[in-house]
Amino acid sequence: MFLTSVILVLQEILEAALLLSMLLLVTRLIESGNKGLIANRTWIWSALACGVLLAWSYALYMPVIAEWFDYVGQEVTNAACQLLTIVLLLVFIYGIKNQVELPGSAHTLVASFCLIVVVALAIMREGSEIVLYLRGIMGQPEAVSPVLLGAALATGIGVSCGILLYYLLIALKRHIALRVALVLLAFFAGNMASQAVLLLTQADWAPYTSQVWDSSALLPEYSVAGQLLYALVGYEATPSLLQLAAYVGAFLMIAASPVFRSAWFRQDLV
Amino acid sequence: MRKFSFMMMSLLAGTVSAAVPEFELHIRDHLFFPATLDVPAETKIRLMILNEDDTPEEFESYELNREKVIPGKSRTVIFIGPLKPGEYPFFGEFYPKTAQGKVIAR
Repeated sequence: MFLTSVILVLQEILEAALLLSMLLLVTRLIESGNKGLIANRTWIWSALACGVLLAWSYALYMPVIAEWFDYVGQEVTNAACQLLTIVLLLVFIYGIKNQVELPGSAHTLVASFCLIVVVALAIMREGSEIVLYLRGIMGQPEAVSPVLLGAALATGIGVSCGILLYYLLIALKRHIALRVALVLLAFFAGNMASQAVLLLTQADWAPYTSQVWDSSALLPEYSVAGQLLYALVGYEATPSLLQLAAYVGAFLMIAASPVFRSAWFRQDLV
Repeated sequence: MRKFSFMMMSLLAGTVSAAVPEFELHIRDHLFFPATLDVPAETKIRLMILNEDDTPEEFESYELNREKVIPGKSRTVIFIGPLKPGEYPFFGEFYPKTAQGKVIAR
């Protein structure tokens, strides 16, 4: 039970922790020397609080939501959240401007709203599974303490990975760190798009498309490296054509943003 | 718009009930019944999973590329395939020691 709990909770925590790290990095790097909104980090606490509340409610109403649309409500809801995440990330990324923002300006409010919702939705999607799992375990007294111990350990490891990523990148030169953080964010958007397509295929809302490659023998998804790559760049051992197309599309939309292009090719904006 | 979405819905529902073969998988005492599920190859399958336990379970299969939480005492649907002939293991991520099975497509 202990090990199951560690693996399960870590899988869920890791993605949200890494996402939070990337967003923190991007906001810090583009705003160094700028005491606007995002430099003060209050949005993080709103995001965490909203995320936990959403995760708890989603888990609570899961039995009802799961029956929507002829028993595929869960896939459709998750895919909708992932698509919304991509849209808000795009609004945030395309909104980054090369000027000092006053705290409380309209632009800062939009940016912090995007960040809060993106992080809260990630916590909701990942956290609701943890909530469901833990609530199920509470009925089995002998399993409670190993499972909670495992969950605590996994939370520690997941959060540490996020912190490690943050400080590894922040130690780099600023323009290099920004490049890496933005690429990771583009990978994250690709991952969201690919997952949304997979869920819609699972629900029979998106068509079946053929498998593009099979790297499961080379790098299995359940291996430690596979899991890490999944959380970091959305690695799939057997992606479908539509998943790949969605992944590339979302990646390119982030990569086409002014802040991305200037960080990689010009360095005038940031 | 409403008329259009209604048409889309009935179109979707129509294709689902008319063409896609349905299979049932039960979860009881953290075990899958049947543990081996024979399905036709090269065909889309509507897999109805009925969780008879009080506890939630997560159906997961790397080979099928599927993952879904099923709350306790509830049922859910997952579409799989079309599959090439072969074996596709699946497991319950919440109780992986006991909840194991496989889909055999032929």
